[in-house]
Amino acid sequence: MLAESVMTKDLIAAHVGEPVGDVLQRMRKHKLRMLPVLNDKKIAVGVVSTFSILEKIVPSYIASGDLEQVSFAPDIGFLKTHYDQVIYKKIEEVMDDAPLLVKHDESLLSTAAALTSLDRHEYALVIDDDESLVGIISSGDILDYLRNMKVNDKNDA
Amino acid sequence: MHNSAHIIHSSMPFGLDATWVAVSILLIIYAVIMVEKFNRAVLSLLGAGLMILCGVLNQQQAVAGIDFNTIGLLTGMMVIVAISQKTGMFQYVAIKAAKVVKGEPWGILVMLSLVTAVFSALLDNVTTVLLIAPVTLLITDALAVRPYPYLFALILASNIGGTSTLIGDPPNIMIGSAAHLSFYDFLTNLMPIIPVIFIVVITVIWLMFGSDLKTTDEKKELIMQFDEGAAIKDVPLLRKSLFVLFAVISGFTAAHALHLEPATIAMFGAALLLLLQTWGEPLHDKDHAYEAIMAEVEWTTIFFFVGLFIIVTGVEHTGVIGMLAEKTLTLTGGNFAATTAAILWVSAIASALIDNIPFVATMIPLIQSMAPTFGGQEALIPLWWALALGACLGGNGSLIGASANLIVAGFAQRAGHPIVFLSFMKHAFALMILTILISHAYLYLRYLS
Repeated sequence: MLAESVMTKDLIAAHVGEPVGDVLQRMRKHKLRMLPVLNDKKIAVGVVSTFSILEKIVPSYIASGDLEQVSFAPDIGFLKTHYDQVIYKKIEEVMDDAPLLVKHDESLLSTAAALTSLDRHEYALVIDDDESLVGIISSGDILDYLRNMKVNDKNDA
Repeated sequence: MHNSAHIIHSSMPFGLDATWVAVSILLIIYAVIMVEKFNRAVLSLLGAGLMILCGVLNQQQAVAGIDFNTIGLLTGMMVIVAISQKTGMFQYVAIKAAKVVKGEPWGILVMLSLVTAVFSALLDNVTTVLLIAPVTLLITDALAVRPYPYLFALILASNIGGTSTLIGDPPNIMIGSAAHLSFYDFLTNLMPIIPVIFIVVITVIWLMFGSDLKTTDEKKELIMQFDEGAAIKDVPLLRKSLFVLFAVISGFTAAHALHLEPATIAMFGAALLLLLQTWGEPLHDKDHAYEAIMAEVEWTTIFFFVGLFIIVTGVEHTGVIGMLAEKTLTLTGGNFAATTAAILWVSAIASALIDNIPFVATMIPLIQSMAPTFGGQEALIPLWWALALGACLGGNGSLIGASANLIVAGFAQRAGHPIVFLSFMKHAFALMILTILISHAYLYLRYLS
């Protein structure tokens, strides 16, 4: 089975130059936790997720793990201040600019392996031979596909 | 050692001159290290390899040139620090220090600088700033004050503190080992001037930034709500770490009387803490913990030292360093006070601009070969203090002067408050010169007048 048969084709994307606040609103409206980020040439250059935005709101010296724990600190109140600053930033400043990319004709096994290997990813962006984005495949998509698969189809997966 | 030059000439391939080959290897390797495009450990090992491949040294001579006392002391302390830092004691002390001054922004700057200086004296500067800088940023965020003055003070305090002991800064470890100066010698000769330097530097920082550091009572109250107790992650490990640290530092102080080298004490302390750390745990967990700690040892630094010792030994074998020493003595007219001053100032300026470790590695044999002029190794002692003060305090002269400076600059960058190279240097270089003036006066009054 190939990635393109399992992926979600109905795509909602963000543009690198959009403000974070607008993109967050779109994510909320469509009940999505991540969006692929496209440049002017419609090439996928990153992924923005609620996690990547929160990572920018938490101070870098904490998010980077330099301060392993801050259970000794009270709630200092800077999260809201940082949130108010981050929503006006451009998406390209908060996106994960090294998304997992898989080719549309990649096998399901290879896609699942890429998602779960060392640099864990929850999503992979599926691209065609021209490197244009054609879909998204999540760990959930693979599980759903496996659940609906008939027993005698197993060789295909 | 220097009369071996003619022996080397006979074994050189292609009729090359050993002196030129050795000096070229040293200069090329040092120049490429300065460019900072390649890993310095890789470069020093390449240089060391070339010294042997080109026939300047044979392998036996190269290995004999490695100062295993420095290597052992560095590695042992790295293991002890790697375990101790997991306890949260650095964060505990930093928060406690901020609360002692009731959240006053200026008081916090002084206390964090003091904590940094003390930790840098007893442990290593890089680990100290690696652990204190994030807490500092958290505190300045809580106070809503500009972090730059704090980070600036942290850098200076770390290098000043590191100057005061045998184990505070790698140049001191190398000097102590080569000149047979004990932990106690450093305490009685360098430590006395450090508080003076610290107070002067903090006063100047107050003049520079004091009026900027204002906050509200509400924000000070936030600092008082920090719970330093929650920073301690592992109380049993904290007890074991403190016990070993205390034992090791006591051991350093008594090392001379016990006829022990500091490396023996540090390595024994490291082994003891490794054993205590996982006492009572299953073998599999122990092995895992040992491997994790060993992975935290900065092997890059250790191999950098190994390579460097071999490169310097190669150059030393050709007699060039002895020649350079003679030239220096000609320039200073063989005057001891002038030689001391020259070593202090040249070391300070050089260490502000280049890595002070290769610089000190080269200066050590150079100073040693001045012994006949000044009446033996014993008479050289003030020169060693001049080298230590110059090389360690010189690190404050620019952002690239010491590894700790770059670590703090990295934090500042990530936190969105980048430290600009030139604006840092504008203040820091002047302050460094001030600390060298104080050191010069101290050396003159104590050893030369």
